[in-house]
Amino acid sequence: MDVEQIRGKIKDVISNVTNIDPTEIGDRASFVEDLQLDSLSLLEIGVDVDYEFKLGVPEERLGELRTVQDTVDLVQQCLAERAA
Amino acid sequence: MQQRIAVTGIGAVTPVGAGRQEVWENLLAGRCGISQVESFDTANYSVHVGAEIKDFDPTPYFSQLDVSRVGRASQLAVAAARQAVADAGFDVSSIEPERAGVVMGTTSGEPREVELFDDHYVAGDLEQVGPEFITRYPCHVIAGHVASELQFAGVNVMIPAACAAGNYALAHAFDVLRSGRADVMLAGGADSFSRITYTGFARLGAIAPEVCQPFDLHRKGMIPGEGAAVLVLEPLERVLARGGKIYAEMTGYGLSCDAHHMTAAHPDGAARAMSGALIDSSRKPEDVGYISAHGTGTPTNDRQETSAVKKVFGDAAYNVPMSSIKSMIGHTMGAASAIEAAVCALAVATDHIPPTAHFKDQDPECDLDYVPNEAREQRVEVAMNNAYAFGGNNASVIFEKCQP
Amino acid sequence: MSPNQSSRRVVVTGIGVVSSLADDPADFHQALIKGESGIQPLSLFDTEKLGPCVAGEVRDFDPVKYLGKVNLRPVDRAARLVIVAAHQAFLASGWTPELRQEHNVGLVLGTMFGSIHTISSFDRRALEAGPKYAKPFDFANSVINAAAGQTAIWHSLRGINSTVAGGTAAGGQALAYATEAIRTGRSDAVLAGGADELCFESLFGFHQAGLLAASGEDDACSVPFDTRRNGFVLGEGAGLLMLEEARSALDRGATILGEIRGHGNCYDCSRGQDERAAEAVRRAIGLALSDAGLESEAITAVSAAANGSVLGDRHEAAGIAAAFAEVEEPSVTAVKSMLGETLGASGAFATIALLESMRAGVLPGVRGLEEREDGLGLTGLSATNRELEGRLGLVNAIGLDGNVAALVIERMNAQELAQRIVETA
Repeated sequence: MDVEQIRGKIKDVISNVTNIDPTEIGDRASFVEDLQLDSLSLLEIGVDVDYEFKLGVPEERLGELRTVQDTVDLVQQCLAERAA
Repeated sequence: MQQRIAVTGIGAVTPVGAGRQEVWENLLAGRCGISQVESFDTANYSVHVGAEIKDFDPTPYFSQLDVSRVGRASQLAVAAARQAVADAGFDVSSIEPERAGVVMGTTSGEPREVELFDDHYVAGDLEQVGPEFITRYPCHVIAGHVASELQFAGVNVMIPAACAAGNYALAHAFDVLRSGRADVMLAGGADSFSRITYTGFARLGAIAPEVCQPFDLHRKGMIPGEGAAVLVLEPLERVLARGGKIYAEMTGYGLSCDAHHMTAAHPDGAARAMSGALIDSSRKPEDVGYISAHGTGTPTNDRQETSAVKKVFGDAAYNVPMSSIKSMIGHTMGAASAIEAAVCALAVATDHIPPTAHFKDQDPECDLDYVPNEAREQRVEVAMNNAYAFGGNNASVIFEKCQP
Repeated sequence: MSPNQSSRRVVVTGIGVVSSLADDPADFHQALIKGESGIQPLSLFDTEKLGPCVAGEVRDFDPVKYLGKVNLRPVDRAARLVIVAAHQAFLASGWTPELRQEHNVGLVLGTMFGSIHTISSFDRRALEAGPKYAKPFDFANSVINAAAGQTAIWHSLRGINSTVAGGTAAGGQALAYATEAIRTGRSDAVLAGGADELCFESLFGFHQAGLLAASGEDDACSVPFDTRRNGFVLGEGAGLLMLEEARSALDRGATILGEIRGHGNCYDCSRGQDERAAEAVRRAIGLALSDAGLESEAITAVSAAANGSVLGDRHEAAGIAAAFAEVEEPSVTAVKSMLGETLGASGAFATIALLESMRAGVLPGVRGLEEREDGLGLTGLSATNRELEGRLGLVNAIGLDGNVAALVIERMNAQELAQRIVETA
């Protein structure tokens, strides 16, 4: 899966939680400042991303996500680790 | 002149014992009812402790209903109700059934019944689900079972106000008595240990791994539990006429709604409930001698509750002992504020205050008197019981020494 | 019991309805008197496990139509029904967002289940995928007071917020609870009523319990009080009434639709199984009448709770007959013949139907009523509409297992209310 596909899927997850159109979610958007998400929505996104990509990410790493790009990086890293 | 309302009986089934006396002694002794969860497998969870009631036998409390056809929360509630009525010392046959009512609170009703349905759904054998699922599950059966068991045919209301439900039930029963709709009301709360509740709080990262340490600097969260408490409320005149004993007088309450967030509290709501309760009972903050805190042990709750108490009490906040029995029995959900109401009534009756257990290090943001680790003997004229819930439902209730 | 002593009268200033028949109280009443039925083949979810099903579904429910483009993802169907009904009630009663910022408006919601669908889905996801993948939004909505909490957030309602569960009596109990909150001076304005959603979990549960009129069977009949009846049809919706203290409502120039005159609540210790159930209905009606300071002869119409259950309808009929034994029996309607059993919403729908009927002067007939059960003793039943001249009516809200509530309501406009206040001052 390439980075664009990953980013697209992540934006779909965010859109599904927030009702923000995926095209309106910037690649580097910050969850709190730009998208104005609360902690419950952030957790929901974390759970859905983890589930979507079947990552099995430790709790604390999900809690560290601040931006769309952070999330893309984490997913890429986890997928790479799994492939290795 | 409005009716004055007395607390005349107390029943409780908790992770530290059953019955008024045993529960009270264990709370004053700082005993802890938290252990490994046994009612379901926590292997897939990151946390494993809970406040379950072990070895509870409901059968002695049932004479009208078939105990095997009643869910666990109802069993706990019926046990607490039977204890409360026995404690109040009146002959049930002496009261008019139509003038005796029940108001109960809960978070989850009978969650085990829907969990069994879910097990079948996931296993693909829904045909195994019988008629008992939908007849035992809805939460209102708890108040119904209590009423049927005691043959109380008066007002009957179930208030599922989540973690503040016990206080909501007491508040409603208080108004029912004041408006003359009943001669005696049983009010309280009940919840059984729930996989759903445990899973949810675990997912939110809100469960402490080992101990519940409300207001401590290193507190790591709440610990889900189960239990039930029922208080007998009666108009004062009636109690005096029958020569019954009185633990405390319930003098008022305050309810409010945050209208802010489902799970994240807003401190203004808690403060409005406390202020409302003080106004309703014509009391000033300085009169309050004990606060039974909501005190879940989560970092946010305890900080916000402390700040709300300071907002309402001003400088007096530093002089009011405030403890959380959730440090010992965990968060018993809809039962919590009912058990804590029993504690307030007993604090007022006995001038003893149960401690906040497992308190080690002071948090600079939680700088009030939390009665750390040791129970205290101290005069308590007025006690306030705080409870907050998902959905932003807040409730504070006031109990006082009763001067007839 | 003696009449209510409070000098604070409780009036209705607006209504919000989300139902299988209509989303506006006047249309709701029109549909009822046309004998339309909201009971149709179910489309909301797959009923493969049950075979063909009919239900009183709010078809094509689209909150965006009412609320605009908003993020409703954190809110489940049960709460969406309530949020939209509240929106309608605030529009109708003139409680603008600005006014709601200035005053602490309360909300008392009756419900049987909250959302058993959300609760069960949350649990099943954790079972299937592991507790780590349990959905946080669903957990927030798994508490039974979630719809009331979400509605408070949505509409900025910072007053008393309570959820009342009493099975199918919950809507009536909630209206009584709110009435007391106003009478006691704890609140001046409380939105009250009830709601429940249709979902697989409850439909399946009622089916397994044998409580439904079997869909697909030739003899399926859910007509209230009809001798052929053999169970109820499940419905859904939300009904809310804006209740206010009379003087403050008049002072703000509100439209007055009616008054809640009295209420009664009691319990049947047989849990619906024997004649104590009928006695509880009689008692609740008696309590509501005495609370209102009225005799039974004052009542000209009854909005019954009957839903087609064999025992339940029989007990209610006997209770009504006993309550009105000494007087000419009022006209009786049963709107569940058109809405199905909407659980927590049903007491609110029964109230709204009766209030609108008294305002319009036409009481809907019981749809499909052909063979009245012998010995029911209800002379006021009719399959056809009746003219309604009286201004006082009785609403029953009765649970499947013991809870009984009754309300006495009066049709009232602002002029009559002002006059009444002067007279009683």
